[in-house]
Parts: sequence; C-alpha cells; structure tokens
Amino acid sequence: MNKNSNLYIVIYSTVMVVVVATLLAVAALALKSRQDANILNEKKEAILASLSLQGQNYDEVIEAFVVNEKGEKMEGADPIQLLFDLPTAFAENTLPVFQAADGRIVVPVSGVGLWGPMWGYVALEKDMNTISGIVLDHAGETPGLGAEVATRKHQAMYKGKTIFEGEEFVSVTLRKGGAKDPNHEVDAISGGTKTSDGVTAMLKTSLGAYLPLLKVSAVAPCCAECAEATECETNKVANNE
Amino acid sequence: MSNKNLKYLTGPFSANNPVIVQILGICSALAVTVQLKPAIVMALSVTAVTAFANLVMSLLRKGLPSRIRIIVQLVVIATLVILVDQVLKAFVYDVSKQLSVYVGLIITNCIVMGRVEAFALGNGPWASFLDGIGNGLGYGLILVIIAFFRELFGAGTLYGFRVIPESWYIAEGGFYANNGLMLFPPMALILCGCIIWVHRSKNKDLQEK
Repeated sequence: MNKNSNLYIVIYSTVMVVVVATLLAVAALALKSRQDANILNEKKEAILASLSLQGQNYDEVIEAFVVNEKGEKMEGADPIQLLFDLPTAFAENTLPVFQAADGRIVVPVSGVGLWGPMWGYVALEKDMNTISGIVLDHAGETPGLGAEVATRKHQAMYKGKTIFEGEEFVSVTLRKGGAKDPNHEVDAISGGTKTSDGVTAMLKTSLGAYLPLLKVSAVAPCCAECAEATECETNKVANNE
Repeated sequence: MSNKNLKYLTGPFSANNPVIVQILGICSALAVTVQLKPAIVMALSVTAVTAFANLVMSLLRKGLPSRIRIIVQLVVIATLVILVDQVLKAFVYDVSKQLSVYVGLIITNCIVMGRVEAFALGNGPWASFLDGIGNGLGYGLILVIIAFFRELFGAGTLYGFRVIPESWYIAEGGFYANNGLMLFPPMALILCGCIIWVHRSKNKDLQEK
C-alpha cells in the first residue's frame, strides 16, 4: 500500500489516536488516587502553614467543621472535601472552618486573578480580627508578576493586619504604590495589578461570608479591654491548654 | 556494547552536547536551575522523554507516512510528556509543583524533536534509544552544573542542605551574603556562557574560525 495515500494516512492517524487515548486514559485513572492524596495533603499543609504550625500532625491540631451563612454549625458536609471546589462551597453557603487547638481559626478564601482561579487560607487570631498568617495560591498567574502573591515574602506582609475597623468589616486591601493604612493595607504587586485586585476582592467576599461566625466567636483581647476579670481568667485557662 | 553504540551514548556528554554545542534547550536550562533538586528531576524527565520518543519513532519509522511525520512525532512526544507529568504529580508532587509549566514545555524542547528528526528516523531502535539517553543526560549534565553554582551561591545550600554556615551571614553577625543575581535567569545564561567558554577552550576543534 502506498504510504502517502490518503486512505493510509487516515487509517494510520486513527489508529494512533485511539492507541494514545487509551494509554493516557489508563495512566490517568491508575494514578488518580495517588495524585488526589497528594493534593489533599498539600491542602492540609497549607492550612498548617497559615497557622505557622508546619510539620505538625494535621489530625491532632486541627478541628474542622462547616458553618452556614449565619455562622451556625452544620452537619453532613466534609470540610476538607469542600476545599476541592471552593466556589461551589461558597455559592451553597457550606463554609468550611479549621480551628486550631489554641483557638485560632483558618478560613479558606476563593476568587479569581488575571488568568484563572486563586485560593488561599487566612488564619485569624482568637480576636477574629488580626491576621495570624496567610497562604495564597493560584492556578496560572504570570510568573514573576502576579504569581508573586504565592511567595512567602508577599504573604508575610499580611501578618498582624486587622480586618475590622472598630465594628466595621473593612478586609485587607492591596494598595498600588505601597500600603498607606498600616492596619488594613499591604503593598500590591507591581506589574500584577489585576492579580492584586483579585486578591483584594477575594479577601473581601470570602472573609465577608464568614462575618456572622467571626462576630460570634471573637474573644476580646485579654486584660485591659476585658470587661470582667472572670472572662479574662477563662481566656487565660483556655490559652494554656 | 559496541564502540559505535557507546559513542551514541557518550558523544552528547561533551563533543556533541545538546546545550553547549548545539545550543538547544536553553529556555528550560535557565528556568529550572535555581536549585539542584528540580534540575535533576527535569534532567531525568527529559532523558526519559528523549529516550522513549527516539525508541518509539525508530520503531515506527518504516510504516510512517512522511507527509504526517511531524504530527506523529508531536503526538508521541506529547503523550510521553503527559505520562511523565502524571507520574511526577503522583510520586514527587512538591517537585512537580516547582517545575510547574516546564514539564509540559518539554514538548517544545528542541532537543527531543531534534533527535527524533535527525537520528531516530534513520537509525535502529537500540541505537536511537541510546542516543536519546545520551542527549538527555548531556542536557541534564549542564543543568546540574548550572544549578550547582546557582544554588550554592544564590541560597548557600546544595540539594536543600545547608553548605554555607548560618553564622557566616551578615544577619547573624558574619561577613557573607547570598548573591541575589544567582536566583535570576540572566545569571544562568552567564553561567551557561562560561561553561561554553571553558568547554571550547579545551576542545579546539569546536572553535569557529
């Protein structure tokens, strides 16, 4: 048969495509469980990293639960599984919360950058106001520009920022040209304006969804602002545990 | 192994090196050489892809319609790269995250297609396989050399282990600071140029008149 006849080429390419498709499908299915386990592990590590508890055993230090839009605990949903599809979780008001043994909580955030989805984990101190740590990640922001949000250097700037001004929720804003407000702003990424805007919007909407929970769980900072000494004592006991 | 086959394997290490003699695959050599670990994983991945792409194309070469030759090559290479990517994601997830898009970009690495087109289509499977391994390792050798210097002087570590003591650093009261330029791609290009310089000064027959 003539190797350059149309019929030969059509048959040749058809067979090739079928063989390749089968091969890739088999490989993808065979490796899927391992890959999913890796992704799950990465999410747990990210939650621990936002709390600066790297290397600790996730199952020992984290208690996970799900709340609805009113901040009430819900039964039936697996918090860690919700992380695999955060946009849907937020849309359906099934909000996963990860509480550390010391009372700090981690809430996931989900949004979009310039090129695709972004997500992250925000750890809040017991006052439910001060950011204790943050981990941000993205699917495909521009390396060297927008992708800088996923670096430790950028994420270190969030530590100690507060998301409330008095009683009002203001979130944290990424300010182009450098942060002006020392409490609620961090430097935006130069060359990554769209990504920075995406992070600002992501923090605002995602943290906003947790407001009822944050207001309920907030523990007043100890001593000076404590109305009653007994409340302060209970806090101290809780801290030591 | 016959002398001729041995030459297919070892030729690309020095005299016919794909990176510093043929100047192929420079892009990824700049991108993944900040640290040794991703450089080594990248080198092994490219070696696997070149070797098996050469092997498969050499086996197919007799029945291959020359009019769709390039497309078939691309399909074979792309399949192998996707397999490598899947395996990395399953077994060395952290490295696969570090390499990110560059694993996918092995498809566009000129070394792979260059060897298939120039060698595998005209030689037997065993020789092609060896040629693929040789070229992959030749590429990897340069990657490892560049990554060695970049990680040592850029971060003070090798393969993640601290080599330059913490106490030497200015922050700890010492006298030493990491060279930040080492972490950026231009330095990889400069190092690559230095390697070519040293290599050509030792190999007079490579010098252009």
